[in-house]
Amino acid sequence: MNHKLELRNVTKTFNTEEGEMGALEGISIEVKPAEFLCIIGPSGCGKTTLLRMIAGLDHPSSGEIILDGKEVKGPSPDRGMVFQEFSLFPWRTVLKNVEFGLEIKGVGDKARGEIAEKYIELVGLQGFENHYPYELSGGMKQRVAIARALATEPSILLMDEPFGSVDAQTRNILQEELLEIWKRTKKTVLFVTHSVDEAVYLADRVAVMSARPGCLVKCLDINIPRPRKRTSLEVNEFRGKLLMLLSLERSKACISV
Amino acid sequence: MKLPAKEKWLWLVPLIAVLLLWEFTAGYVIKNPLFLPRFSAVIFSIYVLREVLIPDILVSLLHFGIGLGLAFAVALPLAIGMGWSKSIFKAIDPIIEILRPIPPLAWIPIAMIWFHLTHYAAGFIIFIGAFFPILIDSYTGFRDVPKVLVETGKVLGCIGDKKQIKYVAFPYALPSVATGTRVGMGVGWMCVVAAEMFGVSDSGLGFRLFQKFYFLHQMDYVVAYMLVLGLVALCLDRLFRHFVEDKLFKWKKGIVK
Repeated sequence: MNHKLELRNVTKTFNTEEGEMGALEGISIEVKPAEFLCIIGPSGCGKTTLLRMIAGLDHPSSGEIILDGKEVKGPSPDRGMVFQEFSLFPWRTVLKNVEFGLEIKGVGDKARGEIAEKYIELVGLQGFENHYPYELSGGMKQRVAIARALATEPSILLMDEPFGSVDAQTRNILQEELLEIWKRTKKTVLFVTHSVDEAVYLADRVAVMSARPGCLVKCLDINIPRPRKRTSLEVNEFRGKLLMLLSLERSKACISV
Repeated sequence: MKLPAKEKWLWLVPLIAVLLLWEFTAGYVIKNPLFLPRFSAVIFSIYVLREVLIPDILVSLLHFGIGLGLAFAVALPLAIGMGWSKSIFKAIDPIIEILRPIPPLAWIPIAMIWFHLTHYAAGFIIFIGAFFPILIDSYTGFRDVPKVLVETGKVLGCIGDKKQIKYVAFPYALPSVATGTRVGMGVGWMCVVAAEMFGVSDSGLGFRLFQKFYFLHQMDYVVAYMLVLGLVALCLDRLFRHFVEDKLFKWKKGIVK
């Protein structure tokens, strides 16, 4: 098996009051193990819908999503997900939030605590185990969400604009930390963003999507060695290329299927 | 919350002023204990009545306990169903909306016929009073569980209504259940006097106040029992806040306080 995740001609239409509306059309893509793939596109292009379908929270109207050789039918802890909105359980402490998936799985108290502790350390939040979400900053909340998603040891990490609601400074720090976590855990990461800078800084490969109905325009490999400098010439060149592609997409309708 | 000593005792000043005003007006202006007994006379009455007071409080608490316990036991499952499932809500809500505006006191004849002159008749009236606030607040809590928390649960393996209610909806709704219970306790206690007015038992605060003291126009005793009714409710409310709200909802601090 050389593909971690494979999307085969995935299409999604929503039934609205005005009739059927195409959200995604004929998306096919393969993701390699331990790859960091960013999905970028204008808002409303269905990139979140795509991620939700991989998570199993939505179902494709046609086509197949295959993870580790098995078709995705519904949500499962083998796909960790980090949402854009803050999604911590407010009544649980940091530790209890990270333990959530393990608790559902029926992992015993002690083992649960040890695993959770490991991931809390991974995201640099040791010392905050007994804090409640209301006591944390936005960036810390998303760190906990990442630790929680990783604690069940999923085979892929799905991230839906996870740093969309934190300030620019924190965002840069979180991006660096995420790359560090990715390097250490060797997870496959699918990262949805609308920020060109973010995609170029993070990804091995960027999938560019067009506006509604969303379809895949192009996949670009980013062959810039890490650690990347946000202001280096290569990064800027690539950013220019992406921006051009996106503005081109904004001005024309989707033709390719 | 720590208040400066000055603010902490501020409430005492108006209280003492009102009591003095009462004492003075009753003693020197109205001069008719039937119309308005003096405060000192009322306090003395409480001392005179000490032998019957405790059993009366206990019997009233028994009625209150029957009504409140039953209201909670019926309202909570119903609230979970109505808050969690739109179809259950749609099916049951019209019935609730028809029954809810009926004043609890209008149920007294039914209570007499169904339960005769027993503690259960009084309990039933209190049940009617306490039931709706508990139901309405609780189901609001279950209804308003944020979608992102339910989906986070799903992705972490919390699948199926039973697990989602146990691990996500219930903890989220618990503060609303507590608020409803507190309001329900207040309304239920207000029904105690009416419930005992018809002689369901030969003791009880409401029974004594209405059937004995008022019957003989012993107004100092009546007012003494009014004060006791108020103080018992105040204690119940304080106890509830201390043992339930403050202990259970530390995590809510960031949201409400």
